[in-house]
Amino acid sequence: MFYLSRIEHTFRVPPSLLNLPIEEAIKGELEKLFLDKVIADLGLCVSVYDIKSIEGGFIFPSDGAATYTVVFRLIMFRPFVGEIIAAKVKESNATGLRLSIGFFDDIYIPAHLFPKPSSFKPDPNKKDKGTWEWEYDEEPYIIDGIDEIKFRVHNVNYPPIPIEQPKEAKPFAPMVITGSIDEDGLGPVSWWVDAEETKES
Amino acid sequence: MKILEANAGALTNYEVVDFLRSKGAANDSTRVLAQVSPSEYKVYDYLVQTAACNQTREHINDFVDKCKIYGLAKAEVLNIINIRPTSIIDIYTIIEEGETRFGDETRFGEVSKELAELVEKTLPPPPTDPESEAGINEGKEETENEEHNVETKGEEQTKEGNDDGKEETVVGELMDTS
Repeated sequence: MFYLSRIEHTFRVPPSLLNLPIEEAIKGELEKLFLDKVIADLGLCVSVYDIKSIEGGFIFPSDGAATYTVVFRLIMFRPFVGEIIAAKVKESNATGLRLSIGFFDDIYIPAHLFPKPSSFKPDPNKKDKGTWEWEYDEEPYIIDGIDEIKFRVHNVNYPPIPIEQPKEAKPFAPMVITGSIDEDGLGPVSWWVDAEETKES
Repeated sequence: MKILEANAGALTNYEVVDFLRSKGAANDSTRVLAQVSPSEYKVYDYLVQTAACNQTREHINDFVDKCKIYGLAKAEVLNIINIRPTSIIDIYTIIEEGETRFGDETRFGEVSKELAELVEKTLPPPPTDPESEAGINEGKEETENEEHNVETKGEEQTKEGNDDGKEETVVGELMDTS
């Protein structure tokens, strides 16, 4: 799930931080720049792991701040295709499921990656929302959103930043994970605990 | 910005939890004082609910040594350490092409069972619900866990009231002197 990435970046450290030890000031600036941001093909930056080298410190003319070239390592959240992750259900609608792991919410399980046969039962009270049900051996298994869903990462997409968005569109998601639950052992944890018990009995 | 090395090493969930803990992340009310940002805390909260929160370096090294005989891919070992599968069906989802790699279906079934038992023996279980904490408290104290986060949530909650009081009085004192 997590990788280290080594990055080199040149940036200025504002003069207001001159009283801090150099490493603290640079770490603070790096966190402001990278933390919780998505870098294309690298993933979501979770934390600054360490600083490998600091060079520079030159002050350019008519600028009050020092410019440093820093090599550092970041902890990136970047699940690989085929990884199994457990997440909670955030939304369930006709196109599929949306899952969340607390710090990352754009995980989608589209309808075609559900175990077959599955059907969607729309909620009479709210349109667009409902529950998904899987029929196996004549038994319906429901995804009720109470326990965690284990899914296999199918694809990780970094859609390009749109230039303009219509006003009521969903906020832009720079990183989208597509998952599949179409295999033995995937889906809500409770489905397979029952299976284990029936096997043993 | 230049990317020197996109993949300078994979980290297990345990290593990320360890790193965040060394920065000062914790489960109790000292949250506001640590230099950990809210987004890092979200990652910490998620990881603390998984099997990673009770692991130690020794557990992981132990497991990696013992599963070398099975010749698993690095990604599969990583998956197993992160998820801690204890049933055959969980191991089955993690290992690809298991039937062809281990000969046939029955042999693969045996290997999965051995792996599941190895996981159960070497890696500590994930944190349990607060309801069953009381019964498991004794068990946890016997095992060599470095972190006692889950142990007595009740105590921490009652302490919170006292801690807040203390912080207020300290701040009050500082305000007076200034």
